[in-house]
Amino acid sequence: MPYDSILNWIKFTDPMANPFYPYIKGGSAVYNLPYDIGHKLWELIGGAIAWLVNLLFPGNGVSTFLVGNDMFVNLISIVLMVVVIFAVGFIVNITMIWEERKILGRMMDRRATRIGPLGYLQNIADGLKTFLKEHITPAKADKKGYMWAVTILIGTSVLIACMIPLSDRWFIVDYGTGLLIIFGLFAIAPLMILVAGWSQNNKYSLIGGMRAAAQMVAYEVPILLVFASVSLLAGSFNINDIVHAQANSTWYIVPLFLGFIVFIVSAIAEAERIPFDLPEAEAELVEGWQTEYSGMKWGLIMLGDYFRGYIACALIVIMFLGGWYVPFISVEQQASWLPEIVFLLKVFLVFFVFAWVRAAHCRVRTDQILNIGWKVLMPLAVINLGITVAILLAGGILW
Amino acid sequence: MVIKYLDKFPKGRNARTLWVLKPMWVTLKKMFKTTFHRPVTIMYPYEKEWLPDNYRGRPGLIYERCVGCGVCMRMCPTKCIEIVDSDDNGKKVQRPQVNLGRCMMCGYCAEYCPVNAMIVTPDYELAAFTREELIYGPRKLAWPNPTPGMEVHLEEHLLSDPERGPVAYHITDRPELNAGKCIGCTKCVKVCPTDAVEMQTVGENDKGKPIKVPKFDVSRCICCENCVIECPKGAITIKEVL
Amino acid sequence: MMPDDRTMWITMGPQHPFSHGLWTLKIRADGEIVKDAEPVIGYLHRGWEKECENRTYPLIIPMADRLCYSASMTWSHVYCKVVEEAMGIELSDRAKYLRVVADEMCRIQSHLMWLAAMGTDLGNLTVFLWALRERELFLDLNVKLCGQRLTTNYPRIGGVRNDMPFYFERDCLRVVNRFEKMIWELVAMMDESSIFLSRMQGTGIISRKDAANYGLTGPTMRGSGVDFDIRRDDPYINYDLLDWDVAVCKDCDSYGRYKVRMEEMFQSCDIIRQAMAKLESIPKTEPTRIKVPRRVPEGTHFARLEDPRGESLMYLVSDGTDKPYRLKVRSPIFVNVSASKHFVNGVRIADIPAIMGTLDMCLGETDR
Repeated sequence: MPYDSILNWIKFTDPMANPFYPYIKGGSAVYNLPYDIGHKLWELIGGAIAWLVNLLFPGNGVSTFLVGNDMFVNLISIVLMVVVIFAVGFIVNITMIWEERKILGRMMDRRATRIGPLGYLQNIADGLKTFLKEHITPAKADKKGYMWAVTILIGTSVLIACMIPLSDRWFIVDYGTGLLIIFGLFAIAPLMILVAGWSQNNKYSLIGGMRAAAQMVAYEVPILLVFASVSLLAGSFNINDIVHAQANSTWYIVPLFLGFIVFIVSAIAEAERIPFDLPEAEAELVEGWQTEYSGMKWGLIMLGDYFRGYIACALIVIMFLGGWYVPFISVEQQASWLPEIVFLLKVFLVFFVFAWVRAAHCRVRTDQILNIGWKVLMPLAVINLGITVAILLAGGILW
Repeated sequence: MVIKYLDKFPKGRNARTLWVLKPMWVTLKKMFKTTFHRPVTIMYPYEKEWLPDNYRGRPGLIYERCVGCGVCMRMCPTKCIEIVDSDDNGKKVQRPQVNLGRCMMCGYCAEYCPVNAMIVTPDYELAAFTREELIYGPRKLAWPNPTPGMEVHLEEHLLSDPERGPVAYHITDRPELNAGKCIGCTKCVKVCPTDAVEMQTVGENDKGKPIKVPKFDVSRCICCENCVIECPKGAITIKEVL
Repeated sequence: MMPDDRTMWITMGPQHPFSHGLWTLKIRADGEIVKDAEPVIGYLHRGWEKECENRTYPLIIPMADRLCYSASMTWSHVYCKVVEEAMGIELSDRAKYLRVVADEMCRIQSHLMWLAAMGTDLGNLTVFLWALRERELFLDLNVKLCGQRLTTNYPRIGGVRNDMPFYFERDCLRVVNRFEKMIWELVAMMDESSIFLSRMQGTGIISRKDAANYGLTGPTMRGSGVDFDIRRDDPYINYDLLDWDVAVCKDCDSYGRYKVRMEEMFQSCDIIRQAMAKLESIPKTEPTRIKVPRRVPEGTHFARLEDPRGESLMYLVSDGTDKPYRLKVRSPIFVNVSASKHFVNGVRIADIPAIMGTLDMCLGETDR
């Protein structure tokens, strides 16, 4: 059959029927949207390749292997799934940068980005510009630390950003300890910033790295305490469980308002944004720990910073704002509504607050930032934990 | 007598009070305002700011008025003006040429020009690819539609005669001849841009040849000082009227 | 530095975001605490004083504009003032009030430039852009008055370049009234923010006695409680006929200097309004510019006035020709920055931009 139709090779089989389907929970397969997209993508691409190969060499084994081998299809689907997830995360990130620039522009009484529709393509243009910049490595820098620290920093940021589930069908791995793993990876950054600052052989970078380490260590403790109270209330570290617990009762911003405030302040500090951008305070430390990075290295660091901002916003949405669900409407009804969009809209809303704070406030001083971290946010986080325990002891009167 | 700002907060402010919401409120208000109204910024290459006529951009020249006296060249603080030969309908004339690479747009050339031929123009987009392009010759210097507002008039009052109204140096100051020093070389006649100097015979010397000294036509003189500078014996000076 | 010392020298500048120009502040830091500081200036030295010796008197006015980009009006004014004193010329009232208006406009726009730079020093870009937005209106007034935004070239020996153009008075009063309303937005951004207050209060303390001893002038000195303003104590161009107050603050810290500058802007608005009213009563036929001789009689003279940054002074030695024999400039910033060691001693590195920002650096006049 030399002239067979291409449709013979593109069958759109059910991905969950694949015996190697990775998402099995309690014996039954859990639907995963990005895997499905990856699977369908491969069925399109692989089917077309297989059809072409079969046209040239009718009846060969490669064509059937490309679309028929379950293990191979599963592997390719996972790769494509990761690409899809990263692409979505990247687009979300670009959108957030665009959002921030637009909001800052309007608050500062000026126009912001101008390229493309509503200035959306400005970030692409800026990215292309940073690609064209010269790469300079300082002569006396410690090359390994200089390159690897920032690579790990950007890598972990992107990794966590991809690990954030957008809905109960859009995830990579459904960890039982999702929050803890995300936070553990999040906490690699201060160490890497310190190493990066140290390795550049520049006094500004060194001071910036030191400040980053001091500040982030100070702010991780309240964040962890808030994590603890949220997961105590939800009874799980699993992100799905936390969101569903909120859908079943109420958003945790209501009982844990104190924790919400503590977390939003600490998240701004963790994402190194004004008013807590001490490590890269450009007025006194040129560019802080990023001083000696140039070209696309610096561009990726900036992108990584916004990935961290996205993570912080997503965590706030997951922990306090009900995740991908809208209140007062039943969960089953919302399943058909693209909960991913709801989630991302909430993220953009939270990020608006970040941009707003940035437009309104000055930078805080080093000692003040540590004072706020240890003397204000720490006790508040402990009080928040106490409130949680009281609610739990009261036997869930609220719901 | 009014102290406004310091009275507004007489007790001073205290950083310990939690005042972080007021700035956020102000910026939010501004955001809503600029979202529905236009921000104050101007999208520069597409729209430009309105400029008044007297804007001091690059200097311009009204070619027909210019007499080539060279006052602008001497009054230029950066010495960017040069008097070059130019062509006016086949006649060889002297006209200024400006090197805009050095020009600092002070407007002195327009201010001190005795015939108001130099003007200020609202042209400020002067970037060029080479330095040679920045040297504006007399024809390139011309501005297509000069308005009266582009002329800068020098209006000075005399301390000795304040009732006279605004005058300028080219109306009051005139060259003066020290006849004893003059050798009758006629250089002043050659350099005078307005033909205000002519040689006049005042007598005969020992050999019977006529002694000629310059005579200044006060009504035509514009006090450009060319004769003063060119005089080899320093016989001509400017008499200032203050 | 001793080998067993735990401190390190950090060279902030000459290309550094905090420096607002080309100068270096070498600080000896123990961790984040500044133990010692040493300003290094001279990167922008262009031989201004020597260059003046080769120019005739009127040609120096545009150069005096370029001493400082945001105080061009006052610098050309002080030059014209010293030549006028050497010639013994008294200006007409109309020229005097025009100079008052021009000077106070220059003071407001210079202070707004300082406020904008202060905003970026503290990491708040909104203040920067809002302050520049207000400043733009005063620059537009400059365009209307004399044709240029920054390098005004407006004062002349014996008066001013030109009289007010049509509708200038109306526009000026409109801008001043709008400015007095809009500046409260900026006050809300700064004074009502406890982050800003905590950055400014209690840092960069220089006592009243020290301020006088180190020779500080201008808002830097008045922020330390020294009640001295040349406009009031050595009046020139009819400042004594106008009704205004000297802004003095006894806080002695960065916030005091900030408050003094803010209050001065309001006072300048008031002065402009009064000067405009006086200008209205003076007939337009009164001379704005007096014809002056080309040569200055032999002798030495000096003139001083209140710059936006302090006391600017010029000292002229003339030898009877049409060019100055020597022209010495006393820059207020040059003196103020010399005391920077005492400003930043004991503060944190993060405070240096905030403290040095309140000095309102301008390197054009410092290095000359």
